[in-house]
Amino acid sequence: MKWSETTSPAAHRRILACLAALGIVLLHPLRSHAYAGPGAGFAVLSSFWTLFVAFFYSVYAFFAWPFRQLFRLLRRRKAYGKAQIKRAIILGFDGMDPELTERFIAEGKLPNLAKLRDQGTFRKLQTTFPPISPVAWSTFMTGVNPGKHNIYDFLARDLSNYLPYLSSAEIKGPKRSWKVGKYTIPLGRARTKGMRRGTPFWHWLGEAGIFCSVIRVPVTFPPEKFSGVLLSGMCVPDLKGSQGTFCLCTTRVRGDKFREGGVRVPIEQNGSSCSSYVPGPENPLTPGSGDELRVNFEIRLVNTNQARFTVDSQSFTLKVGAYSEWIPVKFRAGVGFRAHGICRFYLKELSPEVEVYVTPVNIDPGRPDLPISHPVTYSIYLAKLFGPYATLGLAEDTWALNEEVLDDQAFLAQCYANHDDRERMLFDALEKTQRGLCACVFDTTDRVQHMFWRYLDKDHPAARDVPRDQRPEVIQELYCRMDKLIGRVLEQVDDKTLLMVVSDHGFKSFARCVNLNAWLHQNGYLALKSGKTESGDWFDDVDWSRTRAYTMGLNGLYLNLKGREREGIIEPGANAEALKDELRRKLDGLVDPASSRAGITGVFDCDSVYAGPYVDNAPDLIVGYGDGFRASWDSVMGKVTSQVFEDNLKAWSGDHCIDPRLVPGVLFCNRKISDEKPAIVDVAPTVLKLFGLELPGHLDGKPWTVGASTAP
Amino acid sequence: MGSLGVNIPATIVVVVSLVIGVVMVVVFRYTSDQKAIHVAKNRLKAHLLALKLFQDQIPVVLRSYGRIVVATGRYLRLAFRPLLLVIVPLIFLMVQFDRYLGSMPVAVGHPFLVKVRMDNPNALNEASLQLPDGLSSTAPAVHVPSENEVAWRVVGEKPGEYIVNVQVSDQAFAKLVVVGSSVSRLSPIRLRGKFWERLFVSGEPALTGNNPIVSIAVQYPERNIAFAGFEWNWIWLFFVVSLAAGFLFKGILGVEI
Repeated sequence: MKWSETTSPAAHRRILACLAALGIVLLHPLRSHAYAGPGAGFAVLSSFWTLFVAFFYSVYAFFAWPFRQLFRLLRRRKAYGKAQIKRAIILGFDGMDPELTERFIAEGKLPNLAKLRDQGTFRKLQTTFPPISPVAWSTFMTGVNPGKHNIYDFLARDLSNYLPYLSSAEIKGPKRSWKVGKYTIPLGRARTKGMRRGTPFWHWLGEAGIFCSVIRVPVTFPPEKFSGVLLSGMCVPDLKGSQGTFCLCTTRVRGDKFREGGVRVPIEQNGSSCSSYVPGPENPLTPGSGDELRVNFEIRLVNTNQARFTVDSQSFTLKVGAYSEWIPVKFRAGVGFRAHGICRFYLKELSPEVEVYVTPVNIDPGRPDLPISHPVTYSIYLAKLFGPYATLGLAEDTWALNEEVLDDQAFLAQCYANHDDRERMLFDALEKTQRGLCACVFDTTDRVQHMFWRYLDKDHPAARDVPRDQRPEVIQELYCRMDKLIGRVLEQVDDKTLLMVVSDHGFKSFARCVNLNAWLHQNGYLALKSGKTESGDWFDDVDWSRTRAYTMGLNGLYLNLKGREREGIIEPGANAEALKDELRRKLDGLVDPASSRAGITGVFDCDSVYAGPYVDNAPDLIVGYGDGFRASWDSVMGKVTSQVFEDNLKAWSGDHCIDPRLVPGVLFCNRKISDEKPAIVDVAPTVLKLFGLELPGHLDGKPWTVGASTAP
Repeated sequence: MGSLGVNIPATIVVVVSLVIGVVMVVVFRYTSDQKAIHVAKNRLKAHLLALKLFQDQIPVVLRSYGRIVVATGRYLRLAFRPLLLVIVPLIFLMVQFDRYLGSMPVAVGHPFLVKVRMDNPNALNEASLQLPDGLSSTAPAVHVPSENEVAWRVVGEKPGEYIVNVQVSDQAFAKLVVVGSSVSRLSPIRLRGKFWERLFVSGEPALTGNNPIVSIAVQYPERNIAFAGFEWNWIWLFFVVSLAAGFLFKGILGVEI
């Protein structure tokens, strides 16, 4: 349609008159034209300022570069002097399983991994004892066994009270505060302390002048200084300080609490509008009071399928079954005390009840209240470049699916939205790291397999009511998606680049739960207080004065050792060794009476699998569960029940916290690797060697023999 | 200064700047693509941060600089789109303010020139100046044939608004002259025709009829406004104060500029 057909002659005249006036105003140079409002002022000023700063930095970087190189040489930093490669790209797919991968390759579904296998290397990658992500990735980055990096599980136990704490990081309040009446004014920021020991291999590379981009590798919170950029991954807390607490805002009146990872918040309904709140961190002005900060929000029903949300003066419309973008929220404790977070809203239902799921409040990467990257500006840079993104370590809300707050589709949508953000970060890092190391870990593989293995396992108790022909092929689609990602990365690989695809462990079905504390109780190793037949969470009703062994976390079994545990009764030395032997004998091969299968296929003495200065913090025994089994949900939380074996009816239906020999990871490489039994502990020394660096003497891993380029 | 010691011109400029600053921020909010501006600004900041984060890698630095230039262009394009919508009314508004604040009336006792420009040098001899009471001529008329111009030196004896008449043949052409120190609407020139020029520089009706006079001008001194220890041209003071107001209120009103 022509313009003239849609407008009247009068309108023509008006438009032409306006254009003429505008033209004259713009072309007529008068003093008053010099400035036309603050918008123009800001635009012009900030643009010139930006260009000036950019120009200054560019010139500075350009002229300072030779001096920095000289400085490096003077400090004997001969980057790339003996390097066999120009760049190493390590793609970590948490939990990628070698057997599944082989199966999908054989079915022709993973052409890029098949190409890597055929032209380079594919091996099973030995994992750690136990095969848990924080343990395995700590070994990956440090090249040492857990006895030297001090991470044995997600949780460690406090010897003074048998309670758990996060094994990887500690978050404390500010060093100093000022007490004013009932208020405590924090003087400074919260402090974070990393508990992982050992030195990640990118520190050595950085010292040698090799630039590194490290994205979302687990157990890198709090971030440590080194020469490169790093975005922390698994173990980054949410704004509440937890590992992820979702919120279900609902008009349904229910008193029961979620077993894991979430809180229920009431929605007040008033006609067609509702109000509720997002719970936030504890009020820093009243620490210890349990007083939490909140951000209120309102929902106005647009129609039966749509609602308008107003959160912190931002408004957006959501349809039922849709997520919002990341919404910035500010939790205000008083003048000058704010915590900045981001969260996403998911409208579950509008009729007959109103239900809204809110993701855990992530630390805002654009205004991080805790350091989540090195340098701090790296998380800000990524937020500015791509918009807000999930920063929580366990960003995919498995608890919400487990508690049936989210359905399969909503969970997958959340997973893949996070995954897409990470892909963008990876490709930016690849572009920025044309020489050096680029390592990025994707957790989507782990989370999706945990939650959807039930559709892969023909007899899984959590999917018995789903007919086989109606089971979605979620895991197959997941692998195909990862393969496509590898294909896009391969396009950037040249003959001077090493590409490694690694996983920290594989996966198996988790169909049956083993409550080891129940077994210990039934076999006289763990005693309950008088009159009790079960115990609540965290050994609430355990009589420690008569308890010889207990378990908490996923694979660790502990003796109640005298002089170590607060109420220990087992004498260290021969008695302890004898008890360990006895437990190993009895537990190894423990049979599940319902299935007649071995629930435990190996029990490993920590003295035989660990060596290093932190062995004293290790569990005394590592329990290797059999294929299809895992520690029960109750046992993990220090609960003693009456049943040792029971069905796992949760969506969380696949796992890897079992016998490490059953769940090796994968190793793909674009070059030939001659070693037949590579282990995850070897990755760090191999990369160091390929970059021509001397290997630190304390490393446990051995560098592989890597052939010359066979870039596909 | 006013009777209460208030600097009236400065007060006017500050108040007008604050009001226009806020209004412009609001107008900007509703005439711009706020989301696009937010994204463009963030990208710009990201590329700036990239310069620092990857400063050891010259190719990255150079690429980032190129992207900054592109992103700046995108940002300016987004910022100027709403500006184009408001520039016409704003310019006319500022022209009006310039009439009051750009110049000062001529001071009592200070001589000033009344200049008449003709369309041909032969008409210069026909022009004479008729002054009202309160104004007096201090020197004979000066003819500048090369400029087609005749000028009279005049002095005001007391404050007030005066009409001076330029007589050519049997026709008289009036021009307003303001003497004193108050803030008044000043028209430095009266023009024949020239609609657009008249719109921007003259505050008086056009010289009509078939006559040889092109313009009658009065030289008013430029006004300098004392503010914050400096002497300001009003446009600069307006620039600074409205910018400050905009900066303050963009945060309060949640507007992305």
